[in-house]
Amino acid sequence: MKKLFALIMALAMAVSLVACGGGNSTPSGNTSSGDTSNTAAASGDTIRLVNGKIEIDAALKNLAAKYKEETGVTVEIESMGGGVDIQGTLKGYYQAGNMPDIFVNNGTDFDNWTGMLVDMKDQAWVSDTQAAYKDDSGAVIGFPYTTEAIGLAYNASILEAAGVDPATLTSPDAIKAAFETIDSKKADLGLNAVVGYCAEASSLYWSTGNHLFANYIDGGLDREDTTYIDLLSDGGQLDEARMTDFANFVDLLNQYSDPSLLVSGTYDQQILNFSSGKYAFVTQGSWIGATMTSDDADAYAAAGNFKCGMVPYAFQAGQENILTSAPSYWSVFGEGNTEAALAFLDWCATDAGQEILVTEANCISPFESCTFVANDPFAQTISDYISAGKTSNWHWSFMKEGLAQNYTGQVFADFAAGNLDAASFVSTMQQVCAACYNS
Amino acid sequence: MNANTTGKKVMSLALLVVGTVLMVGSLVMDFTGSGSPMRGPMLIIGALGILAGMYFFPTLARHRGIINFIFLFPLLFCFAVTVIIPLVLGIFYSMTDWNGVKMNAFIGLANYMTMFKDPGFLWSILLTFLFVVFNMVLVNVIGFSLALLCTSRLKGIGFFRAAYFLPNLIGGIVLGYVWQFVFNNVLVKITATAFGMQNSILANTPTAFAAIIVVYIWQYAGYIMLIYINGLVTIPGDVLEAAAIDGASPTLTLFQIKIPMIMSTITICTFLTLTSAFKQFDVNMALTNGSGSVANFLGNYLTNGTQMLALNIYNTAISKNSYALGQAKAVLFFIILACISLIQVRISNSKEVEL
Repeated sequence: MKKLFALIMALAMAVSLVACGGGNSTPSGNTSSGDTSNTAAASGDTIRLVNGKIEIDAALKNLAAKYKEETGVTVEIESMGGGVDIQGTLKGYYQAGNMPDIFVNNGTDFDNWTGMLVDMKDQAWVSDTQAAYKDDSGAVIGFPYTTEAIGLAYNASILEAAGVDPATLTSPDAIKAAFETIDSKKADLGLNAVVGYCAEASSLYWSTGNHLFANYIDGGLDREDTTYIDLLSDGGQLDEARMTDFANFVDLLNQYSDPSLLVSGTYDQQILNFSSGKYAFVTQGSWIGATMTSDDADAYAAAGNFKCGMVPYAFQAGQENILTSAPSYWSVFGEGNTEAALAFLDWCATDAGQEILVTEANCISPFESCTFVANDPFAQTISDYISAGKTSNWHWSFMKEGLAQNYTGQVFADFAAGNLDAASFVSTMQQVCAACYNS
Repeated sequence: MNANTTGKKVMSLALLVVGTVLMVGSLVMDFTGSGSPMRGPMLIIGALGILAGMYFFPTLARHRGIINFIFLFPLLFCFAVTVIIPLVLGIFYSMTDWNGVKMNAFIGLANYMTMFKDPGFLWSILLTFLFVVFNMVLVNVIGFSLALLCTSRLKGIGFFRAAYFLPNLIGGIVLGYVWQFVFNNVLVKITATAFGMQNSILANTPTAFAAIIVVYIWQYAGYIMLIYINGLVTIPGDVLEAAAIDGASPTLTLFQIKIPMIMSTITICTFLTLTSAFKQFDVNMALTNGSGSVANFLGNYLTNGTQMLALNIYNTAISKNSYALGQAKAVLFFIILACISLIQVRISNSKEVEL
């Protein structure tokens, strides 16, 4: 009897072990089935795309639906954004054998995937754009899907009412004079402040540390000019004279910005105020167009759907360029369903794909043959600058990872809070950049 | 009898051999990347075969040992898969240049050297210890005071108990963002009108650190209160009654009777607050994300003024993309926490003997 009981217990334990062992072997089972589905998909079933711009998620799903209608291939869109660390998530996917076929990459992100991405240089769309991402060996590993611009965005109707011609704002003196003029008429124009500039360190570090700092790196330079990013990459050095000019310009922004949002404002508050016509300028890039026409559409309409434009952050005289680039790229994972993924990207570059990307997702097309015009407040100004050849590149995306979040963003915040002056801003910048690059 | 034993022996050996062959076969298939759907069942049937073979193995001397092993195996297996193997892998990765995708080289203790030379990391350690000390004292004092209140004869005690405990049910991230809004929008309006201070308290390292402590206490004191209430309720009524008859004042009762009677609860709460304060991550991340500057720490200007250890590890791995360095820091973190846990176990064991 006792023995029978022991046997039953042993069996029960064994069964629980099966459950346990089964649980353990399931992931590997999944990978294998994932592998087989991948091979099956090579004949055209399903591909998965990880998108890094959550704001165009709905439009991309339409794009996928249209593609399925035309070719029968399902494209699963997986959007991440809003503070999600996309590369971190992708690494998790890689460890779990769950890599998407197409995923978003930018600048230094490409280094994570060296040798794992498909070279697309023989694709048809490559000859139609300047913006494809090429690595050092010349392999095309990034598909550009939109263009964004960094510049000092302005509200055209306020500038007109104040009698400021944006075309003249190409030197720090001119910008300072314009700020003074507008500041003196603030009450008449119904403004809270001249500039909406936020330097909060914990959630807006990317605006200051990446996009504003980008002007130090590329402002006024040719697209191929890598002087200052090279200097930075070499142990985190800064050009002191250039940085001093830049610091004086940031000081100007600090002075004329909205004091209630300068130190602790959020992106939402900043853009809502700009959309409502409370600022003449805002220190963000062209991506705010999407926010203005969606989240803040009511406020923007109430303010008369004013025209927008951009002037360069001219911290030195004669800087006439705004910074434009594809903000991120789509790459094809070499071990995934590459054929179907390449076919999809190729289709995206054709008129059928571009129509949805441009008119619905409001992407500004990087393709020369594209004739669609995005319904974005900044589309016009960007294409004007591009056709005039007055653009510089985005080399900031080659800064060491974490520089803005962990180092420079805080220095901008301290400068804004008044803990640093322009001179100590420069020396502190030099110190933290060196600390970042030497760690 | 003899034939029976031989038969059993043959059977158990056969089961062991078949089980081993099946398991090894399925593992080989796994490593060679075969897509056969039979791998899973083979592995499980193999494992079952080995266990059955062990069970039926005719030995008197070792039978008990084998049974013990079979019974312990499921637990040991799960423990190994979820704790031991990741720990060993983690220590291994901390000595490489792993970036989350691939590793190129084994670099020995270089990550540990870098880590201790980084003033930002040393600051994080110091800050974490400060945070732990502040919280251990404040959370316990406040939690205990609330518990005293909530065991007195006030009206609406049930409501207060629930109200104090409620913040603990909200996740730290949500709570961090809620409080960030309070500090950045509401409090700033008040301070701006009162003293013309436009800067949020989160923009300044010492006040931001104080803000994290306040939010953490708000979140955690209710939980600790609940444990103290439990302790206070278990004090026998006759002891308190005897004290009251002898004319002991409430203060005397508190210090001479209540506190000594709940010493074991105090130990538990102290260690609970200690370990949880050490592991503080979510409020820290949501509230300040480690921002804040330190003008001069060991001769350096630091930009991670409110970044505690767990967040420092996370940011090193994720935002600075140095997984291996983050792993090295995590190993140190593990060692610190393991020491605390060992001390805790020691102390609570000796207390149990006393009681």
